Amino acid sequence: MLKKLKEMFGKNTENEMVILSPIQGEVCDITKVNDPTFSDKLLGEGVAIRPENGRVVAPVDGTIAMMFETKHACTIVSDQGAEILIHVGLDTVNLKGEFYTAHVKDGDKVKAGDLLLEFDMDKIKEAGYDIISPVVICNSATFAKIETYTGMRVQELEKIIRIEK
Amino acid sequence: MKELRYVITDELGLHARPAGLLVSNASKFACNIRIKNGSKEVEGKSILGVMSLALKKGDEMQIIFDGPDEEEAYKTIQAFLKENL
Repeated sequence: MLKKLKEMFGKNTENEMVILSPIQGEVCDITKVNDPTFSDKLLGEGVAIRPENGRVVAPVDGTIAMMFETKHACTIVSDQGAEILIHVGLDTVNLKGEFYTAHVKDGDKVKAGDLLLEFDMDKIKEAGYDIISPVVICNSATFAKIETYTGMRVQELEKIIRIEK
Repeated sequence: MKELRYVITDELGLHARPAGLLVSNASKFACNIRIKNGSKEVEGKSILGVMSLALKKGDEMQIIFDGPDEEEAYKTIQAFLKENL
């Protein structure tokens, strides 16, 4: 019974791990993103989320590897070993921190759902930036298979990526 | 073993794009590649590792190449840095 419940809620098993959505919005194909760093999968496999609000929560239980000084991105290592980069908007490093608020720092332990950062979606768009936010598995090459679930709207913490070790 | 020292000249420092390209270039080589920023040292073929150095404009990075193709790796990475960072 417990196993069935675990499967329903997308919990991790021995060979498989599930990455949940850190942002509420539409999950898009990463190859369609307007930036070859992401669309060419230079940093790894993943998805891109078109946000509906300015919140980013932890997509997994894990540790914050790095909250970028410019707060537009952060990397997190899940307890199962997935290295995840969440990059809010494209080229937003140029904002140098404006419109972003960090809620965690390097080394913090987090649980899925913990608030990582907040951003002012409207101001970022007004400043001329594309707000689509890639969520990338930086150590993609170490896994046997990575499946992404795109083409639908998700709430925070709905399944977006499945990794087979 | 070969060592390369390079001072970052790009305004934005070593952010996602150049970090990804650097790792992609480094990963083509068999030799061991380590990157240092002062006392902090990381695996040069790890995206998370390289980004965690948080190298900014004006910072000096040291790259240590150790292995059979270290000459080629050194030249390739040096050219890459001059062009991109």
